[in-house]
Order: sequence, then C-alpha cells, then structure tokens
Amino acid sequence: MAPRSDTSKRLSELRMKHGRPPASPLEPKAEKAETLREAQPRFRGLESGHRACQGCGEALAARLVMESAGPDVMVANATGCLEVFSTPWPQSAWRVPWIHSLFENSAAVASGMEAAMKAKGKNTKVLSFGGDGGTYDIGFQALSGMLERHHNVLYVTYDNEAYMNTGIQRSSSTPHAATTTTSPAGKERMGKRHLKKDLLSIIAAHHIPYAASASVAYPADLQRKVRYAMGVEGPTFLVIHSPCPLGWRHDSALTVEVARRAVQCGLFPLVELERGALTNIMPIREPRPVADYLELQGRFAHLFRKDDYRAQEELDHLQALADHNIETYGLKGEGLDPMDSTGMSHVRRGGPLAGRS
Amino acid sequence: MVQLTRGTWAQAGTSLDFKTGNWRSTQRPVHVHAKAACHAACPAGEDQQAWFALLQEQKVQDAWVSLVHANPMPGVTGRVCPHPCETACNRTGVDGALAIHNVERWLGDEAVRLGWDYPVEPPAANAPTVAIVGAGPGGISAAYHCVRLGMKAEIFEALPEAGGLLRSAIPPTRLPRNALDGELNRILDLPGITLNTRQRLGRDLTIDGLRAQFAAVLLSPGCELPKHWSVKGAVPADLHEGLQLLRDFMDHGALPDAAKGDVIVHGGGNTAMDICRIMKRAGAKSVTLITASGLPGPGTAPDDIINVVPRELEEAQEEGIEIIDHATVSRLIMKGSRVTGVEIVSLKKEAGKDGRKRRVEFEGTERVVSVDMVVPCVGEQVEPEAFEGYLDGAYFWPDNPFGRIADRVFAIGDARGNRGTVAAAIGDGRLAAEAVAAELSGEADPFADERPVMELDGLNTAYYAGSSRARVAKLPVSERTFEAEIEGPISRSEALAEAQRCLSCGNCLACDNCWTMCPDNAVIKTTELAMDGSHYVFDYDYCKGCGLCVQECPTGYIQSVPETA
Repeated sequence: MAPRSDTSKRLSELRMKHGRPPASPLEPKAEKAETLREAQPRFRGLESGHRACQGCGEALAARLVMESAGPDVMVANATGCLEVFSTPWPQSAWRVPWIHSLFENSAAVASGMEAAMKAKGKNTKVLSFGGDGGTYDIGFQALSGMLERHHNVLYVTYDNEAYMNTGIQRSSSTPHAATTTTSPAGKERMGKRHLKKDLLSIIAAHHIPYAASASVAYPADLQRKVRYAMGVEGPTFLVIHSPCPLGWRHDSALTVEVARRAVQCGLFPLVELERGALTNIMPIREPRPVADYLELQGRFAHLFRKDDYRAQEELDHLQALADHNIETYGLKGEGLDPMDSTGMSHVRRGGPLAGRS
Repeated sequence: MVQLTRGTWAQAGTSLDFKTGNWRSTQRPVHVHAKAACHAACPAGEDQQAWFALLQEQKVQDAWVSLVHANPMPGVTGRVCPHPCETACNRTGVDGALAIHNVERWLGDEAVRLGWDYPVEPPAANAPTVAIVGAGPGGISAAYHCVRLGMKAEIFEALPEAGGLLRSAIPPTRLPRNALDGELNRILDLPGITLNTRQRLGRDLTIDGLRAQFAAVLLSPGCELPKHWSVKGAVPADLHEGLQLLRDFMDHGALPDAAKGDVIVHGGGNTAMDICRIMKRAGAKSVTLITASGLPGPGTAPDDIINVVPRELEEAQEEGIEIIDHATVSRLIMKGSRVTGVEIVSLKKEAGKDGRKRRVEFEGTERVVSVDMVVPCVGEQVEPEAFEGYLDGAYFWPDNPFGRIADRVFAIGDARGNRGTVAAAIGDGRLAAEAVAAELSGEADPFADERPVMELDGLNTAYYAGSSRARVAKLPVSERTFEAEIEGPISRSEALAEAQRCLSCGNCLACDNCWTMCPDNAVIKTTELAMDGSHYVFDYDYCKGCGLCVQECPTGYIQSVPETA
C-alpha cells in the first residue's frame, strides 16, 4: 500500500479527534468508543456549551439550520448574539469552518468565501448568518450586493426583532408598539412608533431563486426550507422568527409557544418566494387574536393597561397589521390541512386516518 | 509576498469544555411517568394507556395480554362497566373521550373467538390452594389471579352455575349469555381452578372449616339481602323488591300482574335502571323512576349525578322511561294493604352545619301520583348467616386495600360496603390474591401505585390533531327485545383507529419534541441507555434549565423539579 500523504494523515487525525466516521475503509476508526453525544443521529453543527441565554430562540434556530445544512458547509457570521455566544475565546461551539469579521459585512465575506471555493473547484456551500440588526439595518447593502452578484450563498437571518446583544435597542425589524430601551413605552409613545420593515419584499425585488420565512415553532417546516435552499444554485434567503426571552420579556420555557402564536395570529407569516413570486404559504387554520401572542410578552405589556386609552388603539393597530398580512398573503386556511399552522405541530396521535371523518 | 498575521481562531466544538449545566438555578427537567387518568380511575386497575399503546403498534394479542394482566374479563366489563375511565379520559376536554369500553369489549371477544391463551402457567403440584367463596366477578377474578401468581384456587358457589350477579341480575340485552359464558368458561378451565357448585357457606361449609383446610380464604359472597324499605313505616303487602324481581324475571321470564299498569321504581342504580327497562318492555303502561340524585347536566354537581352507566340512562330515556330526579317517595297511599298511589316530594342533598351533605325535603312540593306497583331498588346487603364475627354491620369494612379482615381471610366485591361495580370486584380479587401470594412467600404487602395522576392541564394539546370518537351502532328502540344486545360491536379497523386517539397522558410517545427543541443540544436520543421507558436522556452538564422541553412535551412526561444538590 502506498504511504499516505501528509494531508490524509492530518485528516484522519482530525476525524479521530472529532469522532467523525472514517471517510473510507482504509482510514482507521476512532480508537476511543463513541460517546452518546457523538452517536447522535444528526449533525451537531452548533455544539453544547455555547453561552446563549436560557430558552434562546436564536440558538435553537441556528442549531436546526446547521443540522439540516451540514456538515459540508462554511459559515460567515455577522456580529451579534449568535457570534458572541457561540465563540467565547478560546472556545467555539461550531463544528464547521466559521468566520467572523464585522457587523456589516457577513454577506460580503460570504461572497469572498464562495468565490474562493469556486476557484478551488469545491462544492462546499457557504452560509451567511446575521441577526436582524446585521441584516435589516447594518449589513443590508452588503446583502443586497451579494444577492445582485448572484453568489451561491444561503443567507439566514435570525430575527429576534431588536439589537439584543447590546441591550435591546430597536432595529428596523422591531414590530410596531414594542418597547425597547430606545423606543420605551411611556407618556410620549406606546413603544416603537414605526413599522417592522418588510424585508422579504425587498429581497423579493432582487428576483433571487428562493427566499422564505420560517419559525422555530415549526422545526420540520424550517428544516425543509433549509434543505430546499441548500439544493438551489444561486443566492437564497431565509428569515427565521426567533423569540428572545430576555428582550421580549417572556418566560424562557415559552419560546416555542410565543413563536407559534406569532404565526397563528398572522403577525409573522410563513411564506416562500421564488424569483420574487409568492409560491407557497403556511395556511392558518384558525387565526388567533394578536392579543394571544402579545399578552405573553413584557415588551407589549403597556398594550394591556386598562387606564391608557392608547392601549386599545395600538392593540387594534397590531390586529389590523395581522389581518393585512392574512389578506395580502392569503393565509386563511380552508378546512383541516395537515400542513397548516395547526396541523404542522401535530405529533402522530389522532391524525387523519383512512375511513374516519 | 506579504505574510498576513493570523486572526484569532478556536478549534471546533471546544465549547463542550464549558459546562453550562451550572447555570441551572432552580429547576431541572426530569422524566416522570405519571399515571394516566383512565388508569387512575379504573377500579379493576387496568392500565388502558398501556394496552392502547400496544394497539397503536397493531399488536392486538399483546394488548389483550396486557389488559388481562389486571382484568381477566374484558368482554364482560366492556359491556357492563360504567367506565369511569372514559369519564376521566383527558380527551374529554379536547374532542371527546376515547371509546374505551367498546375497544375493551372487542379485545375480550377477539380473545374468545381466536382462543388466545391467558398468560398463566399451570401451578406446581404442591402449590398452596386458596378457598374462594362465591363465583361472581370478584371470586372469578381472585381465582384467576391466584393461578397467575402460582397458587391453586378452589371456588365454592351456592348456585348451580358460576357468574354471580353477572348471570342472575344483568339482563342479556347488556350482557348476552354467550359472551359471559365464553369468557367465564375459559377462566374456569384454567389449570389450577376448581369450581364446586351448590356449596353454600353456613349450610355445607364454614369459614373456620375453610381456614383450617386452605392456605387462605377469600370471601366474595356479594349482597343478597334487600335492604329494608318502608315509607314512614308503611310496606305494601305485595312488595316486590327490585333485585329479586330482576332475578325472578331472568329465571322464569314473568313479572307480577301489577307490572302491567303504572309502575314507580324508587332508587338510583343500575338495578333500578334495568328493572325499569324490563318492565317497560314487558308492557307496563308507564314506568317512572324516582331518584334522589340528579341527571347529568351542566348544573349538576359531579357527586350528585345518578350512579348508572351513562349510556344505559340515555337508552332508558329513548325507550320512554320517565325520570323524576331530586325526589323521593314521601307517603304510600294504600287501599287496604295494596298501593294505589304515592306522594312524591322534591329533595336535594344540601350541606348542613357540620359540612356533611344530608337530604332536605322541600315542604310544599308534594304531589300525588296514582300507581299500580311500587318497586324499591335501594340496595342490598350481605346475608349475615355464616359470617358472624366477620361482618361489621351490614357489610365487611376492611381497613386495608387488600380486603384483609382477619388472619388469611379477605373480603372482596360488593360485600364490602363501598363497592358496587363489577370492575371494583375484579380489582378487589386481584389485590387480595396479590396480598395472599406475598403473605405465603413471607413478604410484606405489595405497594399501592401512588404515582401522581396526569390531568389535562399537564398536557400540551397543540400537538394533538382533532379526531372524533368512534360511533357505535345501537339497536333502534322498536327492535329492542329481552334478549338481543343493544350496543353493537366495534370493528377491528375502528378499534385500531380509536387507539390512535389515545393522548398517551404522562407517558413518552417518542415524538422527538424535546430532542428537536432544546436550544442547548442537551437532550440526547438513545434507545440503549434511556432506562425509563423513553428514548431520551438529559445531559445535565449542559442543560440550562430553560424549561422549553417541559412546556413542549405533549404528554407531560417531562416535568420540572426543584434543583437539589
């Protein structure tokens, strides 16, 4: 047998170290027995030990994305919570090549990484991650450029609707009437005065092959969208609604419940766009009142004050915005659909069966 | 070429060195297998959820084996039990309780049809023998469980046939005799069970004689003696007590002549309901039930609802039985010693000074109805002959769940004052047999299952799809006779579909929610190492205690407990 090159020796060392299975029968198996964690039947792209808060929606979303995108991916990450909590020096929670440069340029860095891969003749997919601050506001022009230059990159924005990392400042993604440290509810204003930026429509205007919104409350739907985007050649975009227990001021156990209600009331529509055209939506079986969603969160507590006449007005305003979404995207479901906002949650107990009404 | 300085970098996955588990301050998630509400409510001790889980896997025979581990007569209880399991079923609060009794009955019938073997071994030749007095449901259950636990059972029955009140007092419209015999004979044929008929305690046997001869004595004599009934001292000369009337009718199919006219039945149990329906079918001009309890409805307190099988009540009303609830007979109007009318007065159970409920008659609500016959159905008590020294008043009142009333003597079934269903008798038989087995092998009494019960508010119902309860055909009123069974069977496909409706309360259904939704990757999926019946273990090295898995677990199998140590 020919002596192995240095590279393959190094590769097998790395594989042993990280418990990855050998790439070929010639390579030695890891000597130590697989731990339970290593034996998990899924790719652990974002590993435990990261410093996200209890019940972090963004950590959950990133974990779900990495599971279905990995392992043959590279990540460019904008500044933000995700970057900070996943890479406390000298450790990293990532198990893929991962680069952080600045707040505003993750799409630009990803563009360069993709160009480099192309030059080297490799098919490794490049992912670009950012929060809503790094996407809706600060990194917006870099993102627009990346889309326009048609790089083969999946851009994922983890939308927790404010600058959480620096202390809950409003972003252009913060919903109307939410209180943040820079849009406090009080005598002058009922939280943020302006509206949440309709980023998806701007993305759609780039006529990219695929853009979609997803929510941590529907992991199967989220992962389907990631897998679909991974198979597309060219720029793709995913925005994931990721509740932040700290900034939204809800119980850490309620992250998924809050996200689910956001979808079910129509304030966060789950849609898919191809070449700028609406191609799919998740229908809402029974739209819930927005109050169901808002009442769980401290950032909307001022909307439930009985002694303030503006509270009802703003509640009605948010309801109107949700109704507008339902109208615009045609979200109202028709009957029992296993793929609607209710059916997608169901575990297999009592599901539709042949011969039953 | 310019050499760029290297940026900072870290090796992959090294965050594992940092154990975020020490962030947990107050709560940690644990797996808790709480009792399903149906299981907790079952007097026979069946774990309905366990056998529904096997049905979900299409393992029909295994489901039956799991069921008969507690109750050897599912074909019988599926027909006669008031199914408190369905009342307790958490699906009631979602879209209707599971049709547990229909599926139970189907399993019992399948076992008889296909001749499935009971999960028992023939007892050893020198195995201890237990004497059982009475071959009703309690005695049969006790005999079966004695054999299941490696003992022999010798049953002594006063009547020529086994079955007790299943044969003598339950009409074939509820329990066809071939269904009863099919199941009963299979149990009596088990190796180690001997049935001696026409053996009456007090005449042919004595308790002390049995105690001397056998390893233990289980008493399940049932209640044969009608409770004394009179209205302010008056008793009609031609009084027919309900249970006796029912027995006579089942024996020779005839009712007294007065039963052709207007009849009033006074009482509020299944016997009262049965006799009402039989008399109506036999041609009574009108049958009216007078009961102190209330009819089920939004305004009725749960402990005030008439204690009959709900579907029996429904069927009786369909058949034209009139029911006067919250009332009692306050006076008999007699012509000579014959009844010609009754005075009825409204009453209700009201809490008194000491908080205990008592019956209060409301003055001014009296009305007189003319009748031809009054049938009291106010309950029965133990025939005291032969039980001197063991009875406490009218019944046995053991101070332990196993029914032990003296050394190696146990009382089970209706003869215990607070029983009253076939399922309770079956459960008593099992508990007594288990206590005997433990005692004979020198062990302490078995433990009672004291796990907490999983209620609806512990479930996350967002994860369950709506699905309506199976509808079972019933004989139309015009076709109902004294023989034909009224409630129809459920088909195999319907039974298996019904099993899919089980919410699996308090028990892991392997949905992967915890594994999928943990932001910290601290739920590990494994089939080998999870020893608690689930497929998951918590990695407390990294679990931050956010509680997401607790919230999103559909069945309440994951619960938060205070962090200790």
